[in-house]
Amino acid sequence: MTQLDGHDAELTRGLERLASRAPFAEMMAESGGGTSIRLDTKTTSVLPEPQLRGVVYRVWTGQRWAEAATSDLSAGGIGDVVERLSGELQRGHGTAPVPGPSATTRGHWATRPKRSLHDLGIEGTIAFAKDVLGWMRAVDGIVEAQIRLAWEEDERRYVNSAGADCRQTMVRTHAVAVPIAMENGRPEFDFWSRGGVGGLEAVPGLNEAAMREAAEGSKALLKAKAAPTGAMDVVLDPTVAGLLAHESFGHGTEADQFVRDRSYLKPILGQEVAPSFVSIVDDGALPTGWGSVYVDDEGHPGQKTFLVRDGRFVGALHDRVTAAELGAKPTGSTRRSDFLSRAFVRMTNTYVVPGPHKFEEILAEVKHGVLLEHGTSGIEDPAGGQMQLKVKRGRLIENGRLTELVGSMALSGKVLEFLRSIRAVGRSPELEIEPGFCGKGHTDYLPVGTGGVPVLSRAIVGPA
Amino acid sequence: MSAPRNTSDLAFRAAELLRAEPPWDLVGERARRFELHFQGREIELERGPITIEGYGVRLIRPRDGRLGVGFQASTDLSREGVAAAAELAATVSRHAEFPAKTVELPDGRPAGAAVDVVDPALWADPLGALRGYASDLLGAFEGRRGVVPSFGSVKAILSEVSLANSAGLRVAFATTRVDLELAVKAFGGAEGAPPGEFWVNESQRRLESARTRGKVDDWCRYAEDARRASAPPTGEVPVVLPPEVLSGILPPVIGSRFSGAFRLRKLAPELGSRVGNERVTIRDQGDFPWSPASAPYDDEGTPRGRQPLIDRGAVTGYFYDALYASAFATRSTGNGRRSSVGPTGWMRFAHTPGPDASTLVMDPGDGGTTQELVEAAGDGILVTQLGWAFPDMMSGAFGGEIRIGYRIRGGKLAEPIRGGTVGGVALSGPEAPSMLTNLVAVGREAALSDNLVAPPVLVRPLTVAGASA
Repeated sequence: MTQLDGHDAELTRGLERLASRAPFAEMMAESGGGTSIRLDTKTTSVLPEPQLRGVVYRVWTGQRWAEAATSDLSAGGIGDVVERLSGELQRGHGTAPVPGPSATTRGHWATRPKRSLHDLGIEGTIAFAKDVLGWMRAVDGIVEAQIRLAWEEDERRYVNSAGADCRQTMVRTHAVAVPIAMENGRPEFDFWSRGGVGGLEAVPGLNEAAMREAAEGSKALLKAKAAPTGAMDVVLDPTVAGLLAHESFGHGTEADQFVRDRSYLKPILGQEVAPSFVSIVDDGALPTGWGSVYVDDEGHPGQKTFLVRDGRFVGALHDRVTAAELGAKPTGSTRRSDFLSRAFVRMTNTYVVPGPHKFEEILAEVKHGVLLEHGTSGIEDPAGGQMQLKVKRGRLIENGRLTELVGSMALSGKVLEFLRSIRAVGRSPELEIEPGFCGKGHTDYLPVGTGGVPVLSRAIVGPA
Repeated sequence: MSAPRNTSDLAFRAAELLRAEPPWDLVGERARRFELHFQGREIELERGPITIEGYGVRLIRPRDGRLGVGFQASTDLSREGVAAAAELAATVSRHAEFPAKTVELPDGRPAGAAVDVVDPALWADPLGALRGYASDLLGAFEGRRGVVPSFGSVKAILSEVSLANSAGLRVAFATTRVDLELAVKAFGGAEGAPPGEFWVNESQRRLESARTRGKVDDWCRYAEDARRASAPPTGEVPVVLPPEVLSGILPPVIGSRFSGAFRLRKLAPELGSRVGNERVTIRDQGDFPWSPASAPYDDEGTPRGRQPLIDRGAVTGYFYDALYASAFATRSTGNGRRSSVGPTGWMRFAHTPGPDASTLVMDPGDGGTTQELVEAAGDGILVTQLGWAFPDMMSGAFGGEIRIGYRIRGGKLAEPIRGGTVGGVALSGPEAPSMLTNLVAVGREAALSDNLVAPPVLVRPLTVAGASA
């Protein structure tokens, strides 16, 4: 029995009413839940996710899409939404066929966590969090620390008038630890973060050694030198390489930006953009990937899509509309933040594919440069092709050797110049996907994964 | 035209159904969202109403000299739904801990701050008003050669909030909010330069067609200038920052470090310590007209007010919600905010309150106009827009890529710049330099940008990383 089962009849009736009046109609009903537990030295907070349920209906009017949503799943609440959209259909917009292929996927998918925080319970999770907090606090000089353990369950049902009927339940688990050091009134911190689809098995490495290392990192940052300034050789650690793949490159491959003629990548699809050992992938079907989906919000299965393959820009991410306009196929990339938000072309898990170089070989290539570590965030510029990433810390590189620790930095430059200037891509037996949240513009945040391996290139850096 | 009456009494109804020992509080919200999405000068998608109704119940339970705080939000408005939410909140309260013995919640029906936060025309006909606004906005691009709006949206949120608690509080208010995002693209021409873009991202309480249209010339110029911009210089240089850039730096940092939450964890600057020079005076003002962070009450029902934070460089106060105020044996400053990722004021019922800044107001100075600040800078840069300032709420560091700005040469604006980074530390310890200690001039006229009211400032220096070292 799921949270939506009791509403199936009304939800389906609403869709049938719209399908009888529209060339195409679809619905996405959603129910969410979960718990976030946050501990520091002063407080213990238990924050249950809101018990939200709702539905969005979308119809093709013959000219454009129209949609409406409600959290009221009673007959009256759904009826209001259907009436509003029926009114829109009666205005008679046109006779154009619905763009792109309609999904006909049918199935039921659910995450089965091996070690779920839900099963551990509030008491058990707090006890574990206290252990983690204690590991950080045991390091001299740590004045405060925070640990957040969270899980969420997101159930979605997608049905359309072409026959698709998909149910999926995603369980995601996330952990963030922040030890804080302080000197002369200035707090400083390093951090540890993991997350993925599944239970605690999706946050490997949450142990005493990792917390001690993070705590020592916070203390060291108090003494760190200011970041270097200017254009230089840069080595991105896997977290920063992931941000590059997502923010700097990936956003330009979302094909709705192609349709708007707003991507610097559109004119160069099919061309070489990087050395042959560079590949970048978006993979919505990656097991345990934080941004994975079983099916997207148009009913297309999540899939692996090469964006750059062996140095060539080979693919973009599509929903049904962009696929129709550009002669492509949907790539399982249509995502809504929730039932209240519109569908956009979005990434899932985006990463730099492991390459041929050992880390020592990469460092040996650098006479004077900086290793950028612990990426925190980035912002896209699909129109201009500029890159902007922020990292929490770095290490200077002198004559192939890591030297002094430096503080937080921003990285800037032109994405295509950066890609063409890549001189090495690291090898790695395992790929780690970092959890993050991404907006389309400044809203519509949803979970996305990023990851990769060390990358050597050249860019502008400065303190941030 | 008078503000519309709040017709949602959701918290009051839930309070009637709630069977719980005091202290408790309830927030109810009925929110409707309407959206127009643009592609070029056409409306690509019309959405709305997107309706959500829900409530959040918070139970506060004394336990062993501390408080156990439990919270649960729900959209199930039935008697059984309220009971289930209260039961979950009670379960949570048995595990949570907060270091205070009691909490003082606002009571009765206090008079809220008299502040304009509802656009009556938008309230009366949301989609009609949005269509008119969009038509005006997109029409302002008509006839322009080589500049188009390529992508964007305007979203309106109409929110009705009700608040009730076990101390007898029963208040309600309404707000409107408008979020505009627009990509303005410059293209074409014989020179073959790649397209340039200026990204508009504004939040306000009302639709202001005339004001928005008045900005279109600037947006188009910025997009065109982005095409011919060069990299900024590298080094420690004087930088002029307008309110639009400061609003991405100061509210996140000051809004954290001056909160009761940071003070409780001994991460706030000490009272009386110097964090800026004598030109820096900043307060929190919850009743600033038309600010997207203003409201008659905070999200616990305490009337919004004004709270001094920094006076001529010295720390003079902090802001609190009810819970954190109780930890310091003081009263809430009306800064209880239920926050979420995404638009402020959307689904506030789903979040437990915490102390947060409303609108930060920085006093103007004697630095004159932006042009006079540019003259005072001598050789430096004016930053018109950062991609994102990436403010670090803990360390106070910030820094981001210059999306568009201008070189200052000999006290005059010169060629456009783009790319590279500008960064520094917005707020540091008492003995360390920061942006607030390095403000060498503060402009005469303050303007509202998002949740900051500030004049333009001249900082000497900030670190700029350009094309070469």
